[in-house]
Amino acid sequence: MKILIIEDEKALSDSVVEYLTTEGNLCEVVYNFSEAVEKIELYEYDCAIVDINLPDGSGLEIIKKIKENQISLGIIIISGRGSLENRIEGLEIGADHYLTKPFHLAELNAHLKSINRRINFSGHNEIDSNEIKILPDEHRAFVCDKELKLTKKEYDLLLFFISNKNRVITKISLAEYLWGDFMDTADSFDFIYTHIKNLRKKLLKLGCADYIQTIYGVGYKFDLTIG
Amino acid sequence: MKLLTKTSLNFLSITLFIFLFGIVAFYFLLRGQVNQNINLDLEKRKASIIKQLNASDTENRIPPNPNERIIIDLITGDNKIPDVIYTDTLIFDVAQHRYIPFRKLGFITTHNNQRIYIRIFKSLEESDLLIVRIFLMLTVLFIALIVTLLIMNRITLKQSWKIFYNTINNLSNYNVNKHEQFALQESEIKEFEDLNRVIQTMTDRINADYINLKEFTENASHEIQNPLAIINSKMELLLQSGDLSENHYKAVVDAYEASNRISRLNKTLILLAKIENRQFPESEEVNIKLIIDNQLELLEDIIDSKSIITKNNIEKDFSVMMNPYLAEILFMNLIKNAIRHNVDKGQIIINQTENTIEVSNTGPVQNMNSEDLFKRFRKFSNSSESLGLGLSIVKKISEVYDFHIFYEYNNMHRFFIKFNDLK
Repeated sequence: MKILIIEDEKALSDSVVEYLTTEGNLCEVVYNFSEAVEKIELYEYDCAIVDINLPDGSGLEIIKKIKENQISLGIIIISGRGSLENRIEGLEIGADHYLTKPFHLAELNAHLKSINRRINFSGHNEIDSNEIKILPDEHRAFVCDKELKLTKKEYDLLLFFISNKNRVITKISLAEYLWGDFMDTADSFDFIYTHIKNLRKKLLKLGCADYIQTIYGVGYKFDLTIG
Repeated sequence: MKLLTKTSLNFLSITLFIFLFGIVAFYFLLRGQVNQNINLDLEKRKASIIKQLNASDTENRIPPNPNERIIIDLITGDNKIPDVIYTDTLIFDVAQHRYIPFRKLGFITTHNNQRIYIRIFKSLEESDLLIVRIFLMLTVLFIALIVTLLIMNRITLKQSWKIFYNTINNLSNYNVNKHEQFALQESEIKEFEDLNRVIQTMTDRINADYINLKEFTENASHEIQNPLAIINSKMELLLQSGDLSENHYKAVVDAYEASNRISRLNKTLILLAKIENRQFPESEEVNIKLIIDNQLELLEDIIDSKSIITKNNIEKDFSVMMNPYLAEILFMNLIKNAIRHNVDKGQIIINQTENTIEVSNTGPVQNMNSEDLFKRFRKFSNSSESLGLGLSIVKKISEVYDFHIFYEYNNMHRFFIKFNDLK
């Protein structure tokens, strides 16, 4: 996937690039408005990650320009401003997701994956990871072609794990992905554990390998290399 | 007390005081004057009596006028009687069956080598009547004067204080957050013009300070998000690298969680500031039952994890005029609070009586002050993850809409919100 990252904080864009390139993505970074405009006029991308506050312009303008040329391009806004109006404004002009800084790289990655699926497999798409198969359009999951009966939260959890497979996922990023940032994280840790326990039980029952690894004190890892 | 009433009362009490003293003094002056006149009269009669006595040796002639009675006594021996004496006396009038005041002049004269003591009288009835009439007229005149002065005073004061009340009215409607031009009525009176000028410069300064402060806090809190994002992303990357020792892992996770807390704190404080600045102006009819049901559904996981039973007894069509987003935040925080301080297998009951909503929970008894409860960063649980801002958000929203919020402990922890703007 070809990704354009428009973010003036170099340290932050470096982190994003490092996290995303290990997935086999191709990342390009620009640090200001004018460079960004130049790039989107010259090249084609699958997705753009746009910061709203740039030193020489607004990210919203860039999104408008992108939408004029490449309608299908996926857009994720990353912004320090997280108020309701800001979100609505961003989503109204055509962004797919709005992440408030500070965001979790795992969450960004999960959103990128869903954009990737929308763009590249429009209509029919499925995610295959070893014996697990997911049909995201139908919200269904299978293990060895046997259907897995999951609650909505368990399904979201599985999708998030597979989007960030073989990576360490912190409890906080899991909680914020599943419940949004209105939930105080300490409260949610207990029932994250419950949901994960149930998901693991269901996976094992259908003969799936035990991919969900607990990393004590940190979080979890969906380790597909185990099987 | 209004200034007008105060000055009128002052005016009235001073004039009454002067009037009372004046009238007493005036009475004595008038009395003295009248007495002097009567004395003169009596003096004349004395002279004529003496003349008559000297002119004839005939026996005493009693004057025909009963008011001008004379009593003549012969003095035997050394009776110590002063030569001339004026006194006031009462004499019983047989015809009228009452005492009538008289002025008496007693004097001694000699007639045929015999000393006689003569007393002549003059009735004071007419002059007393005159004095009373003068006083009555004077009082009426005085009261009329005071009343007209009072009315004139009120009218002119009202007229000149109009500007002042206009200024007060403008000031009480003044809101820094309204972004309106603050203008005061012009006045011809120098004092009021000065006052208005001072107020105008003051509000201008407040406005400027307010905008500065707002910009500063907004910028500061948004600029904090950038470095926080960098910290968080670097921590996440660090956690991905497999070559960390267990100690390092723990350190990274602790730092990661702490920076997450800062960002949550920052977001909540921004929200609080926004509520405080009344930046959620749009209001609409919000169905409270629906809002609470939604929040209970959103928080279902956490409610289930503690096996808490919830009851929402709000009437179906109960709605309140407010910002829908703030309504969500309000009840989310109340319910979250009820969950956090609840026991496992506890209860959360949401009741409604008229326009008051009660959110109660079966948390353990805690020794807490209901005033402190709504203060920022006041924590009554040892959960270090709790920010201690939930109830102060509730309080802030209530303040914005003039809702009355209060807490009671009665078997359960009960939080009440009394809505006043009901349709």
